[in-house]
Amino acid sequence: MIDFAIYMTTIVCIWAVLAISLNIQFGLTGLVNFGQILPFAIGAYSAGIASFHGLPIWVGVLAGLIMGPLIGFLVIFPTRRMAQDYWALASLGIAEMFRLTMLNFRGIAGGVEGTIVERLSDPRVAMAVSVLALVVSFIVAERISKAPLGRLLRVIREDETLAATLGRNPFRFQVVAMAVAWAMASAVGVLYAHITGFVDHGSFMVIETFIIWTAVIVGGPGRNLGVVVGAIIIQAMSVSTRFVAQWTDLPSDVVANLRLALVGLLLVVMIMYRPEGFLREKKPNYDVKS
Amino acid sequence: MAAAPVAAEPISVGVIANLTGTDVRTSVNMTRGIEMAVADINEAGGIDGNPITLITEDSEYRLQEAMNAANKLYGVDNVEVAIMFGGSSLMIPVANLAQDKGRVLINTSSSSSKLGDYPGTLFSVLPLDDIIGKKLGEWVAERGHKSAAFVVPNNTFGTGLMNAAADAFVASGGEVLAQVAYTEGNPNYRADMQTVANVEPDAIIAAGYGDDSRTIFKNAQQLDIAAPWYGAYPTIFAIDDEEWMSERFFGVDNGGASLKSTMELAERYRAEYGEEPLSHVFYGYDAMQIVAKAMELGGTSSSEIAASLPEVVKSYEGATGKITWDDRGQRIDPPVEFVEFKDGAFHILGTGE
Repeated sequence: MIDFAIYMTTIVCIWAVLAISLNIQFGLTGLVNFGQILPFAIGAYSAGIASFHGLPIWVGVLAGLIMGPLIGFLVIFPTRRMAQDYWALASLGIAEMFRLTMLNFRGIAGGVEGTIVERLSDPRVAMAVSVLALVVSFIVAERISKAPLGRLLRVIREDETLAATLGRNPFRFQVVAMAVAWAMASAVGVLYAHITGFVDHGSFMVIETFIIWTAVIVGGPGRNLGVVVGAIIIQAMSVSTRFVAQWTDLPSDVVANLRLALVGLLLVVMIMYRPEGFLREKKPNYDVKS
Repeated sequence: MAAAPVAAEPISVGVIANLTGTDVRTSVNMTRGIEMAVADINEAGGIDGNPITLITEDSEYRLQEAMNAANKLYGVDNVEVAIMFGGSSLMIPVANLAQDKGRVLINTSSSSSKLGDYPGTLFSVLPLDDIIGKKLGEWVAERGHKSAAFVVPNNTFGTGLMNAAADAFVASGGEVLAQVAYTEGNPNYRADMQTVANVEPDAIIAAGYGDDSRTIFKNAQQLDIAAPWYGAYPTIFAIDDEEWMSERFFGVDNGGASLKSTMELAERYRAEYGEEPLSHVFYGYDAMQIVAKAMELGGTSSSEIAASLPEVVKSYEGATGKITWDDRGQRIDPPVEFVEFKDGAFHILGTGE
């Protein structure tokens, strides 16, 4: 049971970092990224590519940390003039392009067969690293959120034109937010590859992005603690419902389908009745006279 | 004073299958095969009087959920052995975990050569791709076809099988005109099938399953492609227009289907579930049977099961025929059957090893 708790803590921390990463982009800056799985995949594939070509582990780790924000910049630069809805679709498409490239080009990281990556065989070490990643990500996200940068990102989220009238270049700040967010996601992508010991395209489907979005929407967009809670809720639901089949006489395939339906139901209920999420974003009032 | 009777202690066996997500039908067939085996084993008295109970977990055909399932089974339910359905992208990470924890994993569906890297942990009842692929390629050439086009899903199973079949077909004097590896889950494969139509092959060699195979056949019919189809594991293909496919669809399937015991099992399946069994019913059944026999022979701990399994299969002739493993626990030299689809059912044209 302790092993399972260690494993679940590890996984929850990874998904919580992904949720924080999306929250910086969407909750704070208003960037609707439907390809949030991409920086995660870049990190994992950095580890996978290094392993596939016989390079040392540290090369993969370093590449993951650098390539995440770098590719983020390459993605946002040509699409910067797009309206948010088109940007959302572009991000979805770019993530799929990356996945399909990895699927179809065997020489990069094994193609359809995927590639084996050296594992962190001690689950406690994996947990410690993932907890550390969450703590660091949370502190960075909180500091951004509470700093003048965070306030400006919120202005950009609400009205880009207004931000521009303040003498700021919204695009520049969107790039900063995206670089930080993608660095976080990419870092846990590297970690995830070394926890599972295998990288292939199937782990980076659109549904994974949907799960991250669900965590953010359920937890509370705009609030870092909220999205961490959202990630915990979604992962806990996924795991806890596994025990239902053993406690009831329901067939396991029925329970499996109910489990997925429950996540969808939670999302619909939250959007309808509490769109601000479980933990509402705190909107501080500033006394402009003082 | 007489000793109080000892209550029979259930022995838990884990099952990991994609009960939701893609390829559910095949996976559920495998699960049902395991359940039928457990019914037989328990009816015969269980393992030294202890009944087997199954703990079935859904993988959603996603790595994350497969790992959640495996961690729960090995870490919370403390099962010594799990039987799994899923591709190599799920099977390999779960095998890593099983190896770390010193547990046993039985593979019923993945056929990647990388599975051989886990001797003593991972045992396969499904033969490797290259074996069935080789037999399929050779058989198509034997039947007088000079050229062929390949249509397979773009995954480890599809491409592995295509490579092996193409090599065998070319080695037997055939010519490969096109190799189409389609992306799974599309609503239409007309463009892929147009590629096949353009090269006018003597035969089409295919792998596939579920809705995708149904759509592929439909698109081929729309394009008036007249070439006969040769499929690997043809019983897992989904066929809508049985009349059009009649005497047009052939294939190489696992052996054993013509055995009396297998036919009885198939009949039982039809009676219980009201549908034709896929071959994965038999893989699931055999997986559970060899696990039970290994428990009877050597004990119920994972190390005892792992040590007994190679001994058990030497004398076991199951629903998929005789099982022969290499020294890594991977199935080699499986008995095969060459079949033809005719009048709504598959008919055996011949057998081989």
